[in-house]
Amino acid sequence: MKITCDDARVLVPGYLDGELSEAQASPLRAHLLDCQACRESAKAGRALQRWFEPLREQPSEVAVPAGFAARVARRALAGDPGLLVPEEPASPFARRSQLSFLLVACSVAAAALFLLALAIQRQSLPATNGLEAQGRPPWLQTSEERPADFGAPVAEPRPARSERR
Amino acid sequence: MPVAMMQPAAREDVQLVEEALSGNALSFQLLVERYQERIFALARRYTKSAVEVEDIAQDTFLKAYRRLETFQRQSSFSTWLYRIAVNTALDFLKRMGRSPVRAVEDPELTAEPSRGQAGSGVHVDAPEARLQREEIARVTHAVLEELPEIFRTVLVLRELEQLSYQEMAEVLGISIGTVESRLFRARARFKDALLRLHPEFAGGD
Repeated sequence: MKITCDDARVLVPGYLDGELSEAQASPLRAHLLDCQACRESAKAGRALQRWFEPLREQPSEVAVPAGFAARVARRALAGDPGLLVPEEPASPFARRSQLSFLLVACSVAAAALFLLALAIQRQSLPATNGLEAQGRPPWLQTSEERPADFGAPVAEPRPARSERR
Repeated sequence: MPVAMMQPAAREDVQLVEEALSGNALSFQLLVERYQERIFALARRYTKSAVEVEDIAQDTFLKAYRRLETFQRQSSFSTWLYRIAVNTALDFLKRMGRSPVRAVEDPELTAEPSRGQAGSGVHVDAPEARLQREEIARVTHAVLEELPEIFRTVLVLRELEQLSYQEMAEVLGISIGTVESRLFRARARFKDALLRLHPEFAGGD
């Protein structure tokens, strides 16, 4: 079975990684023999892989400390959660709890603000409800509402002209 | 997979897991001894500090013990443990503020790959002809550190730990198709970073 260059481009990485079945690898090998461009491309892929070999084969500079396994097993069975990482990624339940808490906290804060605003508003208003001022000023009162002495002569009568003269 | 059909090592792993779950410290210790070298080696891909490597390895095993009940008996214990180790190492980098670019910050990570077109058209030479192996390892390590964490991780798992696509998919919790496309992009990014840091290794079109 013949394959195209497009097919080869898709197959080459798996070929270099040893992931192809023989049924896939065989036509690719035939194509690589025929097609210089694809052969060069495969060669470049292989060259890139070779950059990793020395690092892979490098002996580990970090030796496992003596007694590591026994120490870890002891700590594990004692329920030690470890040093570095949070217990688990937050579970959906935990996230829901956090959301609920935030919602409740926001509601409480909003209610408190509303009550505070209400209290401030009440303090700045006259003692009675509504837009009317407390009682009508005497000059707006009807005759029934007016006190009996309303309209009486003012307390300080102007001096008589005769006296001035 | 029935327990009877498992490879001897895998069967022993499952048996040790069962014993550890019933409170046998020695069985868990044997599991740790079996995998400690590999987990230390993997942790070392993420940090050079011996103390940090030990911390990551230790936390990996402690986390594994706490989650032992979630281990699916039909899957490979080593792959399951690798998954914990990779996540522990990445969490560690994040905590230390050393996590490279994350997926959301990098538009290329979320785009669909187009095979044969990722990266520059320039190839890199194979390294051995010009450098000592220690120097190549140093350069490769430095280039890996330049890469966003998801690219670094696929290259570490494939090129250094030599996991198969299937194992990588299990460790990373992604499909084999995603492994292939991520690996393809990771190699292109590795090549670009290598050429940026060391243009002398350009091999031509």
